[in-house]
Amino acid sequence: MDRFDVALKMMASIIVIYMLISILYLYIAVGENWGLVLSALLESRVHGAIFISISSAILVGILAVAAAIPVAYVLTYANFRGKDILETFLVELPQTFPPVTEGLVYLLMFGRLGLAYTFAAVIIAKFYVSAPFTISFAVRRFTEVRESGIDVIARSLGARTSHILSKILLPLTAKDLLAGFSLTWARAMGELAATLVFAGAIPWVTETLPALIYLASNEKPQVAIAASVIAETLSMISLLSFKLIARRK
Amino acid sequence: MRGLYVQNVSKSFNGVKALDGVELSVEQGEFMVIMGPSGCGKTTLLLVILGALKPDKGLIWIGDREISRLPIEERNIGYVPQDFGLFPHLNVYENIAFGLRVKGYSKSEVDSKVKSLLRMVDLEGFELRKPRELSGGQRQRVALARALAINPSLLLLDEPLSNIDEATKSDVIANLKNLQRKTGITTVCVTHNPEDAFKLGDRIAIMYLGKIIQCGKPKEILENPKNEVIKRLIAPILI
Repeated sequence: MDRFDVALKMMASIIVIYMLISILYLYIAVGENWGLVLSALLESRVHGAIFISISSAILVGILAVAAAIPVAYVLTYANFRGKDILETFLVELPQTFPPVTEGLVYLLMFGRLGLAYTFAAVIIAKFYVSAPFTISFAVRRFTEVRESGIDVIARSLGARTSHILSKILLPLTAKDLLAGFSLTWARAMGELAATLVFAGAIPWVTETLPALIYLASNEKPQVAIAASVIAETLSMISLLSFKLIARRK
Repeated sequence: MRGLYVQNVSKSFNGVKALDGVELSVEQGEFMVIMGPSGCGKTTLLLVILGALKPDKGLIWIGDREISRLPIEERNIGYVPQDFGLFPHLNVYENIAFGLRVKGYSKSEVDSKVKSLLRMVDLEGFELRKPRELSGGQRQRVALARALAINPSLLLLDEPLSNIDEATKSDVIANLKNLQRKTGITTVCVTHNPEDAFKLGDRIAIMYLGKIIQCGKPKEILENPKNEVIKRLIAPILI
């Protein structure tokens, strides 16, 4: 018996158990209070938060796909100094930058324009934090296509940029864009800090599920728990569905 | 009549010369093989002719048309890379039809041209297969048909026999030669393998350290190799 092999497997098992418990504990915590949670589900404020969360996350996902295509094209094909730095700014920095700071930046930038505390503010705040997932998937795949050289062959056959994009890059990137969309959607669903600072939490206008969970956790814990169950269940179902769709394609 | 003229072309990468004043003239309808060891600049030369790489110096002519500044899509050159470069998401028919469609041919023109090319490369019945469902030889024939579909002025082949197994190599060579004769298209093929070069080429240009060091008919090179480097490169043929 290889002791090192066993040790690695044990360490991996501990991590797996920890991650699973982190996800599933919420359902256990609800325990006998399912009745309270179900009644909270009937509250209009919860419905509003579900609607704002889902609709804004879908819109952010679509905008991320639309933005990822030109950005990935430029990052793949354009030659200019500082391309790596630009990619860091577009892809990595938004994922590590404190979202609360970005919310404040947007408040200072767009507050005077009347965009703060609107549905548009929810989209703007979520987009910055979530879109990099789709952009990074698109950049990776576009780069793979470029490295395979089939774009050069397509050009030798007379294809122009519009053909390369519509007949080569997009069909070969569709799966990756879908995967990027699903991660962007899930990240947008969970985004709290930037949205709360820039868009606030106005029921049926800007209040999302994470905002509702945060604000209700002291006053109405059963509402917070109900919203958490919905948010977590939606994330799991959607991510698994996207994975299944992507596998089938 | 001249089919291709490469005039004093040079290309460096990070200060290292990949092509050093290359001069090459290919007659219309001729099958020219550029042979040389790995890293001698063969593929770089092919990519410069194709337009995928910009030369630092020199000009490229196809017939009496100077094409050095034209983008790839306007050069009308058929190109078959080493791995055949088939579009993985398209079937055989769509791969061959690609160039015709982007050039705006009508549906019936595309159909008749693709069918005649499928006949020519002996792949009728394979229209709906995806590249991954084909053998190496079949993939090469699809790539050739796709390159020929646009009626190119020049055909470039990069190591066309490197992905073909030994058992079918002689058939593939015969097919390639036959296809080139039938279409009469000026062809430039690069290979590192002297045996393949001598079987394929009407003429052979031997390339070494970014330069063409001898060019002639296979018999001329065999009988009169210019120097020791060439003798060494063609040694496998002499054994």
